[in-house]
Amino acid sequence: MAHEIIAATNAVVTLDVALPGIVWGWIITMNMWAKSIGTGIIFIAFYLLKKYPEQTGFIRLPSVVISIVFIHLFLFFTVIDLHQMFRFWHIFFYPHMTSMITIGAWLATGFVGIILAMAYFLYMKKDEAMYDKLLVYGVVLAVPVTLYTAGLMAQSTARELWQMPTESIQMMLAAFLAGSATMLLVGGNKFSDTIKKDLALILGFSAGTAFIMYMLELFFGPMKAEEVIATLEFVKGGEYTFMFWLGQIVAFLIPMALVCKSIKDKSYYLLKIAAVSALVGLWITKHVWLVIPQLLNMS
Amino acid sequence: MQLGFLVDLRLCMGCKGCEIACKVENEVPLSTWRLRVKYVDVGSFPETKRTFTPLRCNHCANAPCERICPVSALHYIENGIVNIDKDRCIGCAGCVMACPYGAIYIDPQTQTADKCTYCAHRIASAMMPSCVVACPVEANIFGDLDDPMSNISKYIQEHQGNVQVRKPEKGTDPHHFYVGGGNVTLNPLASFRGEGHNLFNNLTHLPVGGHH
Repeated sequence: MAHEIIAATNAVVTLDVALPGIVWGWIITMNMWAKSIGTGIIFIAFYLLKKYPEQTGFIRLPSVVISIVFIHLFLFFTVIDLHQMFRFWHIFFYPHMTSMITIGAWLATGFVGIILAMAYFLYMKKDEAMYDKLLVYGVVLAVPVTLYTAGLMAQSTARELWQMPTESIQMMLAAFLAGSATMLLVGGNKFSDTIKKDLALILGFSAGTAFIMYMLELFFGPMKAEEVIATLEFVKGGEYTFMFWLGQIVAFLIPMALVCKSIKDKSYYLLKIAAVSALVGLWITKHVWLVIPQLLNMS
Repeated sequence: MQLGFLVDLRLCMGCKGCEIACKVENEVPLSTWRLRVKYVDVGSFPETKRTFTPLRCNHCANAPCERICPVSALHYIENGIVNIDKDRCIGCAGCVMACPYGAIYIDPQTQTADKCTYCAHRIASAMMPSCVVACPVEANIFGDLDDPMSNISKYIQEHQGNVQVRKPEKGTDPHHFYVGGGNVTLNPLASFRGEGHNLFNNLTHLPVGGHH
């Protein structure tokens, strides 16, 4: 539509400031990617410990350690992205509670407290019952911690592409995808074939659903607004087309294909490749979706 | 009191006096602007014309930048201005992402967000914003929207039907109006924009990302 308007007006900007650069770049991509793993592993650990308590006790420690590492990576990237990173404490001392950044910071702090407590009771006190009790609270808090970024993107009202409610579902799917992939890599051959199949199904379902949603946004998103049309042109023949499709293939299509083959053959050695592919592709996919709305001139 | 701005685009001749006055008054660093005048050329030779559009913060009643700011660095003051406390800003750039008008930037010197404040410091001393003073044709009209006798209120009354705001569909309720505007002047997607259309520097992209 933008092309038609420009053709009709025959208007050209002849003097203005330079085009805006990318404000939220790879550091924010790392932030979202690390958070997906940090919360996703908790979701998957909870599922496995509830469904297969006898066979999956060994995942308690690696799950919480991975969650701690990746949530702190998420926090690290959040802080270093600030142009005034040493003022980070302002969020806690001058909080503005309408901001999803503030809410996210408080939620993430609460989540960190719970997973640290889980690690403490498991490692220092050898108290698995308390770990399992805290895990329930961890899962409850992991949901808003996963979702708040979608809220933040929705508050970025200038970026029309992110205004879709599907962004929230994509965040949850990213967590399930990253969590199941990480668990497959952590558990390795210690899992029974039944558990591997369960994890493969979660991975495949998350990848498939996320892929379908991206395709829906790609083809039907332009119905929403002129700005969405202009934004999606960057992945429809524009400069991010290759990266977009690379992300879709590596994050979703390859894992889906490998999951289908594994389940069909009842042989699960390919799942580790699927897991690595999903984790790498998730970063690429998130990065493209983060960057393209920022390439659009607002004025 | 609700302060607002109106620009009569039929009067503006693109002299950029407002732009320079703003830069000097507010010590705006090189490569950044609180206020700028965009030139758009329309038509094909010989049927061509050039339009001029001063662009600045819209001081919205429903400001997305104020809502997303995690530390209330962006905040309303009692006269309706969306002001910024640079000492409180953490430089998260959430406001840059939220502003539909591209009016906020990261100051490369302070590494904090910055934007037009309608010269709040001058208004506090009962002076007009510097861009209003500098305009040689009085295209910039500034005043209290709540006062029916103010210049801006009278201007809006006189030009009913020809008063517009940028991107009304965003629901931000801007307090910045244009008279004589159109699709080309107010809609950034209505004109082709390539890199390198900068007379006074050779930047192709704004360094809004600071350290990235």
